[in-house]
Amino acid sequence: MHNRSSLRHSPLCVALLVVGLTACGTDSGGGTASQPTTGGALTYATPVEPDCLDPAVSARDVTALVDRNIFDSLVQQKPDGSFQPWLAERWETAADGRSYTFHLRTGVRFHDGTPLDAGAVKATLDHAVDPATESRYAAGLIAGYQGTEVVDPHTAVVRLDRPNASFLQALSAPYLGIQSPRALQGDPAGRCDKPVGSGPYRFVKWEKKVGVELSRNPDYAWPPKDAGHTGPARLDSLKITFVPEDTVRVGALTSGQVQAVASVPPGRAKTLGGTVQVLRAESPGAPYTIYFNSAPGTVLADVRVRQALRRAVDLDQLVKAVYFGQYQRAWSPLTPATPFYDDATKGAFTFDQAEANRLLDEAGWTTRDGAGYRVRDGRRLTLRWPHTADMERDQRGLIGQGVQAQARQVGIEIQYTQVDQGTIGELIGKRALDLFDVSFTRPEPDILRYFFGTDSTLEKGGGNIFGLDIPGLDKLLTGGVSTLDQAERTRLYADAQRYVVDNAISLPVYVPTSLVGVTRDVHGIEFGAGAYPLFYDAWIAR
Amino acid sequence: MISALRWLLRRLALAVLVVLGAATVAFAALHLAPGDPVRAVIGTLNPSQDLVDRVRVDLGLDQPLATQYGQLLGRLVTGDLGESYQLHRPVAEVIASEIGWTAQLAMASLVLALAPSVLLAVTTAGRRPALRRLSTVLELITASSPTFWIGTLLLAVFSFRLRLFPAAGGDGIEGLVLPAAAQAVGLIGIFTQVLRQSMERALDEPFALSARARGTGETALRLRHALRHALIPVVTLSGWITGALFSGAVVVETVFSRPGLGRTLVTAILGRDLPVVIGVVVVAAALFTLINLVVDLLYRVVDPRLREQAA
Amino acid sequence: MTTLLTPVAATLPRARPALIAAWAVLGLLALAALWPDLLATAPPDAVDPASALAPIGPDHPFGADQLGRDVYSRVVHGARLSLLIGLGATTIAVSVGALLGVLAATAGRTADEVLMRITDVLLAFPGLLLALLVIAVLGPGPVNTTIALGLAAVPGYVRLSRGQALVVRESGYVRAAVVLGRSRAAIFFRHVLPNALPPVLVFATVDIGTALMASTSLSFLGLGPQPPTPEWGSMLAEGRDYLDSAWGLTVFPGLVVTVAVIACYVVGAHLRARFEGRTPGGR
Repeated sequence: MHNRSSLRHSPLCVALLVVGLTACGTDSGGGTASQPTTGGALTYATPVEPDCLDPAVSARDVTALVDRNIFDSLVQQKPDGSFQPWLAERWETAADGRSYTFHLRTGVRFHDGTPLDAGAVKATLDHAVDPATESRYAAGLIAGYQGTEVVDPHTAVVRLDRPNASFLQALSAPYLGIQSPRALQGDPAGRCDKPVGSGPYRFVKWEKKVGVELSRNPDYAWPPKDAGHTGPARLDSLKITFVPEDTVRVGALTSGQVQAVASVPPGRAKTLGGTVQVLRAESPGAPYTIYFNSAPGTVLADVRVRQALRRAVDLDQLVKAVYFGQYQRAWSPLTPATPFYDDATKGAFTFDQAEANRLLDEAGWTTRDGAGYRVRDGRRLTLRWPHTADMERDQRGLIGQGVQAQARQVGIEIQYTQVDQGTIGELIGKRALDLFDVSFTRPEPDILRYFFGTDSTLEKGGGNIFGLDIPGLDKLLTGGVSTLDQAERTRLYADAQRYVVDNAISLPVYVPTSLVGVTRDVHGIEFGAGAYPLFYDAWIAR
Repeated sequence: MISALRWLLRRLALAVLVVLGAATVAFAALHLAPGDPVRAVIGTLNPSQDLVDRVRVDLGLDQPLATQYGQLLGRLVTGDLGESYQLHRPVAEVIASEIGWTAQLAMASLVLALAPSVLLAVTTAGRRPALRRLSTVLELITASSPTFWIGTLLLAVFSFRLRLFPAAGGDGIEGLVLPAAAQAVGLIGIFTQVLRQSMERALDEPFALSARARGTGETALRLRHALRHALIPVVTLSGWITGALFSGAVVVETVFSRPGLGRTLVTAILGRDLPVVIGVVVVAAALFTLINLVVDLLYRVVDPRLREQAA
Repeated sequence: MTTLLTPVAATLPRARPALIAAWAVLGLLALAALWPDLLATAPPDAVDPASALAPIGPDHPFGADQLGRDVYSRVVHGARLSLLIGLGATTIAVSVGALLGVLAATAGRTADEVLMRITDVLLAFPGLLLALLVIAVLGPGPVNTTIALGLAAVPGYVRLSRGQALVVRESGYVRAAVVLGRSRAAIFFRHVLPNALPPVLVFATVDIGTALMASTSLSFLGLGPQPPTPEWGSMLAEGRDYLDSAWGLTVFPGLVVTVAVIACYVVGAHLRARFEGRTPGGR
């Protein structure tokens, strides 16, 4: 699934997130300069390095960023959550929702010359679920996959063991980008280093710790329908370099060393100016959220304590201070850029420490100990919040410190402790924690089930790490994934979002937002619904 | 001659023991440490048990510790350092590709540190009290400033503000200047002190007096005769210097987002990439013992008195 | 040449004003460590998002950080941890090192040979690498940082105190004790250890500064104490992103580290010089 605290960028290509693009009006990648030009090299600096470029293996968002250029998908997701043809010209869904028939485009060739056919679809999906692949994410996306039948060279039927409304979204992700069957037959050992797809750029080399180099695929003629142009990509080559330090990465942009950078620190977004502009795109999926362990027997099982914690923290101010107004505060368990997001949860509660104190008194945490923390029956009101800094981003540590300091003001002790990733896994296994923070990028409301569904507990490979069993919510979420009726889904997911907020089941904090800095001569960078930049249309003015 | 050979053999045997010892300590230490490396390798929150088991088998971590240790030693003998958990590449290859960056940085830092130190030592040794005092203060400040701070300030001023040097990447000389300077600053103070002290001692030696008597000019004397003597203690410090440069690289490579062995090690420690940590430790141990051996060997060549003692 | 963490030679400023200033700095740091509230103007974790990154001014002499906490107060409160780590690490290094060193000198040839060869090996390693390894095993955190830095400095003290112990062993009163038939342990604890220790302690004062600097480096790398604990190295790391808008976040913690280390060096060098003057051939 995901790296905790790193955004899951599940992709769909050219669909533009109009909502998110504010810095530059309608032309996302730069001014309204003259005609697009062909040629040139663009270097994009990003903080994280992929672990493996086989999209079926990796769970990192940066893998999606890189692989989107190398791999095409069967379908493409549009901002409204619907799908349009890409490598599949059209498709049919069986009445029982358990099989999909894809009719493939003709004339598509992989970078190694192999033509696209139904066998490639079968090879890609079989490869993803093959235990030997050791997939960290892709296999989970198509849970329930039973197999692919090659009807004829251009017709493939994919069978599932149960209806899955998020199946097409899964297929639209780069993690399930269609791979060259010939490459998949080759030596499994070097597969991480040799991605072969049919995308607009070909893989050239990956110099570890430095960067990945891609070059234009001159044969490319099959972009999704609403791409900015047809034919091969405009850039000769695309380099993605890895620069973990924020200051250094931004410095590389302002000094003209690179043409684009990921994750501009929000504090710098306004002060950059000059030769640089910042493009914004809000991530779809689950916002950065503090999840509450409200399982029976825990401190947070009492809804009053959960409500008190929510009211104790001035999130408006905190999010504004830490992110300089660049990121929006989140209210719903889904971000505004997610299909089926519901706006009604906005402003559902206010920052009110007096009310928080009243709720805690009412819950029986009436006395205070020497350190000023509340006590009940000789037990201090303590919440354990382990976190790992391994891949922490967006200065979430500051949010944690802010929440900790303000919870203290109403007498709640938060033990915000940093541990390594292995330890956090063990703590989760033992359920020895009360709070857990994570964000998750996927343009699909079904992530609510992933976090709260009873069929999505840790043991079942889901993200319901506390093993919560909330029947009222469960019914809505199971309903949402089982029906393909859009109106029905809209209703079910609106109810689900309200249910989470009304019952203080979690504390959404902010909407992760992709801040991409580009020099002013770079044009045509668009965002996929996964809120990472796409380079197919990009060009550099000369 | 025989005694020299015996001495060398003894030292070589010791060097092998050191490398094995380092590997053993690193192996034991990392396997005793809490936290499951398998989970760190997978890097996702809730890997399925099946995936965990498979990865564990892949990494050989399902074997008993004794077997794993045996395999480690077996591989070490053949020069194989295993495969990185995180990078999915042979450790030897990882180290080979990273060590160049660190060596480049180390050499540049050494040059950047030695040049001003020699200048300061030559001009201030034994004379010009005012200048000497100023130099002493400067040395103290540079030796006391943490490298990460110097690096950050250099970046802020010379890269972000003045845009004289690139902020990231090691492409060519420009990319090397700031990181090397950050590392050199801390060394200048120490080099100057050592150089000046031994320079002053050399200037009191009989050869210096006789050179003066022959009418050799003061500058020529300092540059041509005294400096050579003054550099010997720097050579004896080479073990320490290598260590300092490596320690510095850990910090500098992080501050400047440079590739290199230092950053590789920190990342490997945080990511519990055991083969890489063990590999770096083994290579470092081999390197440091080798340097010490070479220094001692040079010593015996330079100073015959030591040959008798060492037996 | 010393074999300790720092090869800082003895030519540090010994002028009276410098020494007085150094002692004053140490005094101030001790005050900040013991009674931070006397110097600080606010609690170190008083979050106030409204005044995030407030500029330097009467309310915030060093400015305010990303959460609106007073940087000056955090620097003051940071003294305790930094000094504790520096002192703690040096204490560990000296006590373990001295014990092993004196043991090597008195416990016979085999023990001496084994101990000193191991010491040689460890001395070949850079201290920070050893410390990183220890942290890799123990995990990050202030206590583990202290232990890591302390252990990393042990080998230097083993060699130093062994040398001291050898000098003491050859002295008249120890020979007399041997002639008188005192037990080995008695000679070890009553004669050799107490007499070998003082010169080692003097050398250690300089190392406190080095340990302090190393500990802030580890914190900078994210291996030190956890937020919101104020610590100079991690404050600097957190403040780096705001260099252009709030340079105080980076400059002041670094400046304090430098000043503290200088003070340790100056005082240490002075003590060392005085000690060497008193006992010729003290090393």
